[in-house]
Amino acid sequence: MSLKSLDPRVTRLHLPDGEVPPMEEKPALDQFETYEAFHQKKESTPHAYAGPVHAPNEDVAFLFAKEQYSRRFPCVSLWVVRTENIQVTPYANDGENVYDILRVEAPATQSEQPEPYEIFHLKKRGKAHTHVGRVVATSYQEALQEAKNQFGDKAPIVNVWVVKSKDVLQSAEDDKDMWATTPDKKYREAIAYKVMDKITKYKEENKNTPA
Amino acid sequence: MYGGGNVFEATKFDDLQTEDPAKLAEFEARIARGEKIEPTDWMPQLYRKQLIRMIEQHAHSEIIGALPEGTWITRAPGFRRKMAQMAKVQDEVGHAQLLYSAAETLGKSREQMLTDLINGKSKYSNVFNYPAFTWADSNIISWLIDAGAIVNQMANAKGSYGPYSRALERICAEEAFHLKYGHDAVVHLATGTPKQREMVQAALNRWWPPIMTFFGPSDKMSTHTETLMRWKVKMASNDDCRQQFLDMYVPKIWELGLTVPDPNLKKNAETGQWEYTEPDWDEFKRVINGDGPCNAERLAVRRTAEERGAWVRHALLNPKAKYVRPLA
Amino acid sequence: MNELALKDLLYKLADDQLILGHRNSEWTGFGPILEEDIAFSSMAQDKIGHSLAFYTLLHELGEADPDTVAFTRNAGQFHNNQLVELPNGEYDFSLIRHFLYDNAEIIRFEMLSNSSYEPIAKVATKLKGEVKYHVLHANTWIKNLGSSTEEAILRLQSSLNEALPYALGMFEKSKYEQELIEAGVYGGEEAVKAEWLQRIQAVLEKTELKLPDLASIEPKFGGRYGEHTEHLQPLLDEMAEVFKIDPTAEW
Repeated sequence: MSLKSLDPRVTRLHLPDGEVPPMEEKPALDQFETYEAFHQKKESTPHAYAGPVHAPNEDVAFLFAKEQYSRRFPCVSLWVVRTENIQVTPYANDGENVYDILRVEAPATQSEQPEPYEIFHLKKRGKAHTHVGRVVATSYQEALQEAKNQFGDKAPIVNVWVVKSKDVLQSAEDDKDMWATTPDKKYREAIAYKVMDKITKYKEENKNTPA
Repeated sequence: MYGGGNVFEATKFDDLQTEDPAKLAEFEARIARGEKIEPTDWMPQLYRKQLIRMIEQHAHSEIIGALPEGTWITRAPGFRRKMAQMAKVQDEVGHAQLLYSAAETLGKSREQMLTDLINGKSKYSNVFNYPAFTWADSNIISWLIDAGAIVNQMANAKGSYGPYSRALERICAEEAFHLKYGHDAVVHLATGTPKQREMVQAALNRWWPPIMTFFGPSDKMSTHTETLMRWKVKMASNDDCRQQFLDMYVPKIWELGLTVPDPNLKKNAETGQWEYTEPDWDEFKRVINGDGPCNAERLAVRRTAEERGAWVRHALLNPKAKYVRPLA
Repeated sequence: MNELALKDLLYKLADDQLILGHRNSEWTGFGPILEEDIAFSSMAQDKIGHSLAFYTLLHELGEADPDTVAFTRNAGQFHNNQLVELPNGEYDFSLIRHFLYDNAEIIRFEMLSNSSYEPIAKVATKLKGEVKYHVLHANTWIKNLGSSTEEAILRLQSSLNEALPYALGMFEKSKYEQELIEAGVYGGEEAVKAEWLQRIQAVLEKTELKLPDLASIEPKFGGRYGEHTEHLQPLLDEMAEVFKIDPTAEW
């Protein structure tokens, strides 16, 4: 006998009948790799870390990040980066500057030509990393050193992320209209629901009726 | 420097005696200072294990919690409700995604968590094993279950683990919409036609007992609980959450002329505490262990979704890909 | 401009989106991966939102309010094409339908944003960006899955073959076709279809999927004037189930 559901959508799924053996363990990478998403709320603010998505490649990661991290509130730009391509420093204590305690190691690999890297800082534990700028270097380590020179005075800085610019998939100028209507979707904002009038009216009409 | 997601070897011990005392002291001092713990910080095994368990259960509750209200997605009355119901249920799936990611930063893969959910190895909030019989049930869930969730989550957002707090901050902001939407829908029913009032009262009657169990039985205070509270993993006692919920929402239910189906429910003027009929904890245990009205359907739906989607995931699997944990 | 012609155009646009929006919303909680559930739900919300925008224009032309129009008519009064009313099937069918539909929809929106009937032009211009993203979503998935495993290719090809007669039904001409074109309100179905064919071909060429010879396919017309498959009425009943408990009540 099929499960009788109250949900017509479930009924249409035609769930299998009867007892089923335990599901096999999901294989590795069944949920793909992870990508980290950064969103920019308006032109004048930097890109800020939004969170990860699981995706098979960066194009799909972009689609997923767009919905998971920019379906509410204004957004003008979105970046996605494979998690694997982000290099991370240790975390300093709150209030400290991680660059001061960092021992920058010798680069493991170096590119022949200098290339751009994007630098992200975390100001306080528990908050989100934000983009502070771009440096040009031949390795992650050199980029970090360069970041220290250029942005190291913006303490507190508790953590730094370093990413090659070419590893960042950035939304294009043309893509902006994808977010044009987001602020209009008031039905998914708390502010759209105002019921005080109805409650007041109800109380007024029923004040002589015991509940 | 290390690449994203380089992490620790898990040990089998969660006895604090086996932890490095200097590292443990530093860890506890950090929490005492009000700083957050981030994924690559040293942490005791007990902390890691309990957080994984907690965040994972929370994630499962969101993905399974999408189903009772999902029951009414195609039937939501009128444009306004339809779009909001869709967005609300979508948010629950989104919350699951955020929470699974937070748990992943601690070292359990999403693959493993989903397997454990479907095979009944890890639990989710018991209330979602109850059915949403009518549209009004869905509205009561949106309002009161989400209200309960907010009480819980606002407390947990002040917890010590960075990625969980970050996820909860966003989740709470979205829950504010759920709560207002649910309240709006309930108010419309309660102040509407006699038929609508009857629907909403019946739904409240059905959902009140599960709601009262939502925060779990009274905590047994133990060294274990005290440790977790000191580490800001457990942020509030179950009873405190329940009292806070009753304080905030019983008056809002009463002002709509609805009856809470518990003749013993009242606020003791002297103690300031709510008194109520003790929930049926035997039923609670029975349902948690699989014997509720909807357990089988909830897991079968989740499993079917996973199994029918397997070809899509398999098709895009990149064998060269290397999984690394999300960073934050 | 003849109001009947305008209404005819608006009804087909609105009904298509209302029905597809409902179908897409069925995926929430059932998708192949969590992130895709979220994406499908957003597109479903957009579609329902678009239908509301067009029903609102109809209301301004004297038709009943959007809720009444959307939730109280029966299948014989619906103008949607039959493609959108078909059950979701598995993900391959839903994806193919989404691909075939949205690649036509974006062309309609591009045309309509230049419509001589200003209220339509305004709505289309405003909402075009959302449809553009729907197309990006569909094309990205088709390109990815359409050149992946044998199973995926087989599934998509079979869904494509199944959906095409219905997809061609999207281009059923209006009774007022010539009039709408001449008045510069809408470019007409011929033009949409020609452009659509080019766009879907450009995507399919990047995959191992084959577009069957369209000349050999009999389009499933009739949807624009109330002829529907057996799947539409049960869906409409479902959509209106709560609303009809008391249509005069405020829900």
